[in-house]
Order: sequence, then structure tokens, then C-alpha cells
Amino acid sequence: MSGNRAGIGRVFSNTLVWGYALLVLGPMTWVLSNAFKYQIDILTGKVFATFTWRNFEQLLFSRQSHFLDNLLNSAIVAGTSTVIVILVASMAAFTLTRLNVPKWVRWTVLGWALLFQMLPTLTFVSSWYMMFKMTGLHGTYFAVIITHVVFNLPMALFLMMTFISALPQELIQAARMDGCSYGAIFWRIVMPLVRGGLIATAALMFIFSWSDFAISLNLTSTDTMTAPVAIATYAQEYEIRYGEMAAGAAMSMLPALILILLGQKFVVRGLLAGAVK
Amino acid sequence: MFDQTKKLPKMTRRAVNGLALAALLSTSAGAVLAADQPTIRLAINQSPWLDSFIAMVDKYEDETGNKIELDVSPYAGLLEKVRNSVRGAEGEFDLLNINSLWLSEIYSGGFLAPLGELSDGYALADGVLTYGDTVSWNADSNTFAADGALMGVPLNGNVQVLYYNTEIYAGLGLTEPTTWAEVQSNADAIQAAGDAYGFVTRSGRKSIVYNFTPYLFSHGGSFFEVGADGINVTINSSEGLAALDTYVGLATQSGPPSPGAVEQGDLIQLLSTGRAGQAIAVIGAWGGLENPEKSAVVGKLNAALIPTGAGGSASSAGHWVGGIPANISPERQQAALAFLTWFQGKDVQTAYVQAGGVPVRGDLAGGALSANDTYRFIDAYSANAANAVMGLPVPEASEISSAVALQLNRAVIGEMTSAEALNAAAADIATIMEREGYTVTRGDDL
Amino acid sequence: MTNMHGMTPTQRSNRRWITVSLLPAITIFALLSAFPVFNLIGLSLFKVSWEEGKAVYDFVGLSNYKYLFTEEEIYWAGVRNTLVFSVTVVTFQMALGFTMALAVMRAGSIGRPLLTGVFLLPIVIPPIVIGTMWRLILGREFGLFNQILDFFGAGPIDWLGNPDLALGAIMFVDIWHWTPFVFLLMLAGLEGLDEEVLEAGRIDVRSFWQELRHVLVPMMLPTIVITMVFRIILSFKVFDEVYLLTSGGPGTSTEVVNFSIYRVFFAQDRVGDGSAMSLVTLVAVAGVIVVANLVIKLARRRASHSEDES
Repeated sequence: MSGNRAGIGRVFSNTLVWGYALLVLGPMTWVLSNAFKYQIDILTGKVFATFTWRNFEQLLFSRQSHFLDNLLNSAIVAGTSTVIVILVASMAAFTLTRLNVPKWVRWTVLGWALLFQMLPTLTFVSSWYMMFKMTGLHGTYFAVIITHVVFNLPMALFLMMTFISALPQELIQAARMDGCSYGAIFWRIVMPLVRGGLIATAALMFIFSWSDFAISLNLTSTDTMTAPVAIATYAQEYEIRYGEMAAGAAMSMLPALILILLGQKFVVRGLLAGAVK
Repeated sequence: MFDQTKKLPKMTRRAVNGLALAALLSTSAGAVLAADQPTIRLAINQSPWLDSFIAMVDKYEDETGNKIELDVSPYAGLLEKVRNSVRGAEGEFDLLNINSLWLSEIYSGGFLAPLGELSDGYALADGVLTYGDTVSWNADSNTFAADGALMGVPLNGNVQVLYYNTEIYAGLGLTEPTTWAEVQSNADAIQAAGDAYGFVTRSGRKSIVYNFTPYLFSHGGSFFEVGADGINVTINSSEGLAALDTYVGLATQSGPPSPGAVEQGDLIQLLSTGRAGQAIAVIGAWGGLENPEKSAVVGKLNAALIPTGAGGSASSAGHWVGGIPANISPERQQAALAFLTWFQGKDVQTAYVQAGGVPVRGDLAGGALSANDTYRFIDAYSANAANAVMGLPVPEASEISSAVALQLNRAVIGEMTSAEALNAAAADIATIMEREGYTVTRGDDL
Repeated sequence: MTNMHGMTPTQRSNRRWITVSLLPAITIFALLSAFPVFNLIGLSLFKVSWEEGKAVYDFVGLSNYKYLFTEEEIYWAGVRNTLVFSVTVVTFQMALGFTMALAVMRAGSIGRPLLTGVFLLPIVIPPIVIGTMWRLILGREFGLFNQILDFFGAGPIDWLGNPDLALGAIMFVDIWHWTPFVFLLMLAGLEGLDEEVLEAGRIDVRSFWQELRHVLVPMMLPTIVITMVFRIILSFKVFDEVYLLTSGGPGTSTEVVNFSIYRVFFAQDRVGDGSAMSLVTLVAVAGVIVVANLVIKLARRRASHSEDES
């Protein structure tokens, strides 16, 4: 009898899911509410306190703060690096999984990617700083963008490989028999079909680039500073300015969230149904 | 791209520009505001005292016409920025805001231009504090020394003071303590009353060495001694034990339940919410504690001299020093020096205090400022600043601090006895320094 | 129509494609990752100090590694903690993320975007905010959790200050933070499954649980494995939570490997030792991944054996 076990399973999974949702929304609203409170009220954990715009004022209009510019920089860097890394990774992933590539090429590229991913990024930052300083690129958008690309490339590569290899081999063989070139297969068949995985990967790469702190801290100048670095300035020696941090977090979360939700709309289920035919 | 350094609200900026223009037009030939130095770039961190410092930068620019560009980083990232700048072929910054904990690393690396080389016979103005001689460095003995080369000028004077809550004291009839025993008895009374913790220590691993230093030195102990023939590890002496016993007593008997997890932010949080009756903390926190938006105890705190023990009174130096890197052009070095010289002036320092900063001069006590209740910390600050010490005056400070912190932290959370912790700390210091090539001597274990 | 070299235009275009598709990735790796990685490996054999503004490289061979294995007690405490941490959080995140993806798949047209949006919130917040936010919530004096406990009359619990609870608290925050990562990938994987193969699988199956075990999981296996591998790698790199919540204390109860490396490499400027630590950690992570993969292979073999027998 499947009824009871499915029933219990369903209840259990629903509890888990709604429980997590609550656990996310609860702290989130609480933190966002901090953006409108005075520091002392935040420190004493008051749930309802005097409302104030002070934190946003400090964040946006104080003398050393250029938060809107920082948000824009984050958008430029994250957007560009995501587009680049997705393109580069998808093309390479397709070739490595579906085409005849010498084994040693496959192993070297993937092995190196994995190795690179497993080492701590922090330790590479000073090398990158040196490299960019020597080529005069320090503080430019290019430096941060290309570093984010290499930083995200291993994961993007492996993820796209997983999604592309989930496609039925018959599909690709059929296309080849029809005389399609690899390029055509890639752009017209593979890419549209892995849309779901593509968007999920892109979302993650965007998030990683958007939230990056260590690389941005050292490779950007005042002009190109990104939002996470700006928000980090509120974690100070003697105190953490929770109010300004919450205000900064609220403002920096919105663009990322909107983009991802928009992206989700492009995912249609069951795309493969009938594709082989 | 854009070259912005500070952003004033539009109205104020227009007003300032208008005034400046008017001033310029109203002066005769030989304009007062002509800049005679190139613009210099300063690397500094975001902090509560940054605003007061910026006020001084503005003042400098108004008075001399010379410009300073500020690059404001998070505290956590400033050291890396400073390192990257000084290690490159050409420095990104002309003036560096260096925390006392990083001084030995930066000095010993030879990255800064000694001020005596930039201007013959340069010396700090009388009355400027040296915070345990941390403005000078002796390259031969590899440590801070008053007779060493002058390497920088303090930009913010941050030392520890004893804070206490006057309201709690009044309620229980307590008086300002002068010895450690008095602190402990006050603490017991406060703790028994139940509304606040008697004494809060910063015993978290990040903070404990810095927090323990005044106890150690005021009991007549030290971490180690730097001699001509090597290092003598002294932490596990009887004085050290007395100090640690006092410290652990205060931490565990009359404080919050998990002192081993209390870091600076937590300590200040407890002070500002009125949950701490007494604590030793940096004077830099004063501004926040007197700010009604951040503190529930405005006007209720006072600063005092850290208690005196067998070795006198001591305070850990946590100040910031402005250094001039060697890898920039001579013109910029001179420009940076000009600012540093200007900064030391008594009137500038007074203005600095009035803007909310902590002065780097010790002779402001007993003057116009002390009379003002808002600046009632000045006397205690000046007294403590005179006793400032650097517990670990060697380039390996950070490594030693990490190792010792673990052992001290374990003593506080009860994983080890004080004697065991000190012996372990001594062994760690010896291992580290021997590996670095020093000759190390040690006393017997406790 | 062929040309003199015996290749059709399509074949030539294909040859070009292989080069063009791989070149950007290889170039980017070569230019930006080769030097830093080799530099790291090299540095681990040296002791670097600075004198008179210049770096002094002192070749010490394997002595940094020797020091690491004999003297760095904090690092090894970190390794133990990180292993426990990694296994626990990845297990929870995989289970939770998969369940959430299934739930969203079954949700209606309003539930789906709503749930997806909510589930994605934790990874969209800047990590530093997550750390400071949970520090407030878990704080002993005024934290939200303790306020709720107080409401029910229970005493305050020192989530972050108690050495026995601290690591658990950090694991909780990490699970909260990173489950959306698994969720997103599982969702994409599930939605990409071939509907026809799913239907075919469902015929032989009698309960949802069986469908899960014998159809969904095997079909999703590549995605699951990759997600798990990257979660393991990322869990070894955990830093922000520890840095902001406990700084590795009290004692060594929340010391983790990446934090030790940060401290040695940056705070203490011991780049030689830090590099050695990174490389040793690399071996440890690789080890964990290999073991995890073996476990999965064994589980599959047992599952297919039991299928053969039934």
C-alpha cells in the first residue's frame, strides 16, 4: 500500500520545506527591520523600536560613502563576468563531454580546474595583485572581471558538463548525421535544451561574483569598489554597525534576487519531451 | 573615472565652494590658499574616529590648500592593502595608517622612510606621545627603542583605560578603584546586585593577549625580554602567574558566563547597553558610548587609570601611526611629512578632540578640555597613555600572539590551570623564536 | 565536394570549433591560474622575510611541512573540526535541498516562484551580513533565539560562547546559508529530466519512496555527485561564518582549516607555512571527495544487487 507511506512522507517533506521557509523569512525580516533602527535598539534586541532613516542616510549620503556607485560597480562586474564565464564554460563543456577530444586534454583541463578550485582563493590574491600592478591594470574593471571569471570557471565548467551530458546522445548523433557542424549543434540544439541548467549555473556564478569580497577588496580602487567591500567597512574594530549593514544588505540583495527570479521564468519543464523524435 | 574623495550633501558643498571662492576673491595677490605640495593619497580604515580625522584633513586643506585623498577600506582589509602598496616597486599610497599591532612587521621590513632621512634631525613635537616608544625602531636589536630611527607620527591615540558605570557605582556606594583587589571587590558587589556584570574581560582568542597585557605588566611581569644576546622568555614567572590569576578571577568570578567568547565588539555592546559595571577597554570606544543612537549609558560612564600593581600601572597601546613609504617620489614624501608635522600642533589636537577624536598629545590634560564634561576622559586618557606598553615588540608579534592567545583562552575557559597555560605559552614562544633564529633562554617552568 | 586536403567545409569548421571552444578556457586558466598555483607550491618550500623593502627568499625544503605536522596544533584541531563540519553540513544540505526541489516541482503556479524566491534568499545576502546577522540572533544577552526562549520561560543558551555548542551553531548557520545552492542545482536537474523516461520508470514503481530510490536518484546521480563534490570543496573553504561568529574559539572548538590558513598566511605573514598548509588541505579535500564517491558507488552497487535479487 503506497497511501500511508506516501502520506507520511508528504507531511514530513512539507514540514521540512515550510519550516525552512519560515527559518529563512523570520531572520530575514528581522535583519531588514534592523535597517530602520538605531544601533542601541539593535544591540538590545528590541523587536519594535523607533523608526529611523539614519542608516540609509549614512550609507548613501555620508562623506566617505559612495554606495550607489558601489552597487553599480557590483552590477557591472557580476554581470559581465557571469556572461563571460557561462559562454566560455558552456563551449568548453560541450566539446569536452560530447566531442572527440584526446583524453589527455580532457584530464588536464578538468584536473587543473578541480585542483584550482580546491585551493584557497585568498592565497592567490597577492599574486594577482602583483600581476595586475605590473601590467598597469590594477583597479580597472577588467582586472576584477577576469579574475572573477577564472575564479568561477571550474564550477561553471563542471556544472555545464553535467547538464550537457544529461542530454540524450541520440540527439547529437542525429544532428551530426544531418550534417550539422559542431558550432551549429552547440548553438541551435544544445544550448536551448540545457536552458534550465544554464540559468541555474548562471545564477550561482552571478551570486558568487556579486558576493565576492576577498578579490574585490584587493583588486579594486576607490572608483571600482564593489558593494560587499563597502558593506564590510561597517564591520569595524570596536563595533559592528548593524544598522548600516542591514541597509546595505537590503539594497544589495534586491538586484540579485530580481535577476534570478526573472531568470527562473525562462525555465520550462519537460523541454526534452518529444525532442528525440 | 571620477575622482571623488569625500561627498558632502550638495547644498553644503555649494555653500563651501561659494565661501572658498569669496575668500579667494577677497584676498590680495599672494593667495592664502595656494597649494605648495602635491596631493597625497592616504590609506585608512573605516572606524568611529574616521569622521574626526576627516575633519582634521579638511582643516589642513583649508589652512594650507594642500590636498589629501582618502582611500577608506574595511579594517579587515587595510593591512593587506598597506602590504601590497609598500611591497610593490611603486607605492599606491603616500601616507599609511598603520595599527600598532602591525608596526613591528612594517618597520622591520624596511618599507618606510625614516623621518630623519626626509628632514635632518626631525623629531616629534614635545608633548606628542610615543606609546611605548613605538614610533621609533632600532634595526640592529629589531625592536622598538627610543634611540632608534623615528619612523612615524601617531595619528590616533588609542590606549586602554578602566571604564566604570557611575550610576551603578552610585547605587552601590562604590568608589573608583586604584588596585586590582579593589576592582575585584567592586565587581563582586556589582555582580551580587544582579543587574549587571561586575567586570567584563575580552577573553576571546582574538583579544585576550591585548587585554591581558596591562595585567601582566602591572604585576611586574612581561611576555619576554629582548636583549642584546637574544630573547629571554619571562611569561611563566611568578609575576606572570599572579597576573593571570587576577585576570582569570575577574573573568570567571564576576563576569558574563562565557568570558572565553567575549571579543571587543561584545565588550562594547555590554558597556553600551548598561550590562557591564566595569571593564578595561580602549578609549576609542568613548565616542560611541556617548552617542545616544548607539548607547543607553550616555553620560553615565567614566574613565580611570588602570589599577596599579607591583609593577605600577600599564595600558596596552592600540594606537595608529602614520608612516611614509620609501617607494614613492621625494616630493610626495615631503608633502606627507608636511601634513604629519602640522597634525602634531596643540591647537590641531585640541580641535581633533572637539571633533570626536582621541589626541596623540599627552599634555592636553588639565586644560580647557578637561573642564568640559563631554571630554571628561582626557585626564584618565593622558595618564594611561603615559604608561602605554607594547607587549610583543618584535616582528613575530602576530605569530606569538596567536599561540599565547590559545593558551590564555584555555586558562579562562577552564581547560587548563593558569600555571599550565603560562608554561605552554612559554614553550610556544620559545619554539617560535628559535625557529626564527633567535637565541632563546627560559626560566624554569612554574 | 572536397578540397585538396580531403576535408569538407563542415569538417574544417568542426576542427575550428574544437579549438575555438577550448581556447578561451585554457587561455584564461593559463594566464591567471598557472602563476598563482605554481607560486603557492614554490612558496611552500621557502621562508619569506622582508628586509629593507625587499623580499628575502630562504629555501628550507620540506621543513615547513615538518613544522606543520609537528608543531601546528591549532591547524590539526581545525582539520578535525572541518571534517566533522563538512560531513555534517553537506549531508544535511543535500537532503534538505533535494527535498525542497521536489516540493517546488510539485507546487502550483503561485507556490513555485514564491517558494523559489524565499529559498534563494540566504545565498543572495552578502556573506558578511549573514555572519553579523546570526551573531546578533545567537547572541547570549539580547539575541532573538534567546528572547524566544525567554518568552517560553527557558533560560538563555550561550549558542556561540559554549565550547560544546559553538561548532553546532556554526554548522546550523552554514546549512541555512548553503542549502539554496543544492536546491537550485537539484531543481535544475529535476526539471531537465526526460519526461518519457520518468514515465517509463514510474510504471514499475508502487510508492513515491520507490520512485525516489529507483528512478529519480539514479537519473539525477551525475547532478547529485557534482553538487556534493562542490559542496564538500566549499565547506572546506568556510570562512566568513567562523570569522564573524566565533573567530575559531572558544578554545579551538570552532577552529576550521581555512581560518587557520588565513591566520597564518595573512595575519602572521608566514607565507611559506600558509602555502604548505594549503597544499596539505588540498590533499585532505581530495581524500574526502574520493571517499564520498566510493560510498556512493558502494551504495549503488548494493542497490542494483538488491534489484537483481528481487
